[in-house]
Amino acid sequence: MSPARAPPVRSPFHSEQEAFRFVLLVILALLPVALAATLGPTWLALVVLAVMLGAVAARVVQVRMRKLRAVEMPVKMAPPHVGSASERRVLIVANDTLGEEALLNEVERLASVPHTHVLLLVPALISRGARLTGAVDGLLDQARVRLKTALDRIGHASAVAGEISEADPLQAVEDTFATFVPDEVIVSTRWERAASGLEPRLAGLVRERFAVPVRHLVFDPGAAAHEPDKDTEARYRHESGEVAARTFGLKALAGAGILAAVLMSAVALVQSSERREARAVSQAAAEQAAALPPVAKIVDLSVIPEYKPGPEGEKHDAFTVTEFTVRAGQPQQLRIDNTDSVPHSITAPGAGVNIVVMPGVHTYTLIVKHAGTFLWFCTFQCDEWAMAHPGYMSGYITAS
Amino acid sequence: MFSKGPAAQARALNLNPQPWRWSHPRVLVEHPDEAAGLAIASGLRYAGYAVAVCPGPAGHERCPLTGPAGCAPAHDADLVVSSLGYEHEAAREVLRELRTRYPDTPLLVEAPPDMDESLHELLDGCHQLPAPASTEQIVATVQSLSGHVAGEGPAGA
Repeated sequence: MSPARAPPVRSPFHSEQEAFRFVLLVILALLPVALAATLGPTWLALVVLAVMLGAVAARVVQVRMRKLRAVEMPVKMAPPHVGSASERRVLIVANDTLGEEALLNEVERLASVPHTHVLLLVPALISRGARLTGAVDGLLDQARVRLKTALDRIGHASAVAGEISEADPLQAVEDTFATFVPDEVIVSTRWERAASGLEPRLAGLVRERFAVPVRHLVFDPGAAAHEPDKDTEARYRHESGEVAARTFGLKALAGAGILAAVLMSAVALVQSSERREARAVSQAAAEQAAALPPVAKIVDLSVIPEYKPGPEGEKHDAFTVTEFTVRAGQPQQLRIDNTDSVPHSITAPGAGVNIVVMPGVHTYTLIVKHAGTFLWFCTFQCDEWAMAHPGYMSGYITAS
Repeated sequence: MFSKGPAAQARALNLNPQPWRWSHPRVLVEHPDEAAGLAIASGLRYAGYAVAVCPGPAGHERCPLTGPAGCAPAHDADLVVSSLGYEHEAAREVLRELRTRYPDTPLLVEAPPDMDESLHELLDGCHQLPAPASTEQIVATVQSLSGHVAGEGPAGA
């Protein structure tokens, strides 16, 4: 048993140049967003993204509106005829009218003419929404069933071929000009467009672009096919183009509103989460500060010779306070009464502290830049034993 | 096959976005009447040419050929068949631009029988067919100018 073949994947681009241009545009559009995200806050990146998306959307809307309003495109083109001079190739574009008896009779009539090849092209009419969500199988199946039913009904199998297309109908016709190379095109539609039917103005669009005869077969419910005159078709095309452009404009406006609302919500969300984070950080800092031991505004102490007894029972020189607790980076006032006749010091090289304590009562400022516990000692020659022992002429500074 | 000289290729123009999609010998047909233009196009297609049909100034608010944007089909055409009449100045301007911008592109003009002196001067050096010319006459003249015979070109795009 042969394995089931996957349906061919159609490239959305029609040339390498087009694909390259698309990639280049995407890179250029993302560059400012990436720069804003790297150098600025998140909300700025979102705003830049919104501006870029808005610019792209505005351009798409402009192009689409122009297409719908059918700006004149007066130069028609066509490739050379393929085959012998007696051969004739007819392209029939239809979808919802494929079951119409009159159309099938016309196909049969054309196919019965010698050297005439007929191609039935059935665009699957996949909406943008369906394309985005990937829900295309149902529409493709519908087109396939319609084509198969029509081909089964028509004889002259060798002269009539069928093809379904996932592309936009006009694009599908354009693609067929590169493969089947028709000498004539027949577009079959209803006068009023059905949900799953071809747009009636397709005939006019094909006629404007291609330098081959284009016939428009219109089917009214319960009536035979007819071909509208040029003025009627032009008027209808203009009206339907205007209606389609207006509808699209309203949809685009609504879409822009929704997009703006979503983006504004995203910016607000990011900003509020940033604010919440900042609040949490400052709250944590406040809590941390509150958890630290209290620091006195000013510490009073004295330096007294032969003040404190050592373990051997002899009295030694000493500071009355030898443990200092400070906040890193914050000044701490020390009011020191040096009762000795010579200077002493509080010197802590690890903390960058060197306070020379002059005889008498003076106020000094102790600042430790970094957190940690640092040993301090007196550098002036006094009681040697006391200078080497914390609690006497030495001690610790704890900065938190 | 026709040839285009360096003068035409060196010209850097900002063209409007309607380039040719086919690489066969390409003929631009300028005709104000849609049906007549299509008939000539059909004859040329069966003779093996890719065709573009333009109604000339009548179909545009302003012909891009006479503006800075230029006209892609005219720029890349291997031969131009012009049947614009030439009673009006706009049509003569198109002819003048074609001759100035693309001096190396052969130009076949359906010339009116009663030409004034300025038109006579303008058409000097062009290949002319007396108007009204039939499709067969036009196709035969294009073939003789290009040396191309029907069926020579490869099929498809």
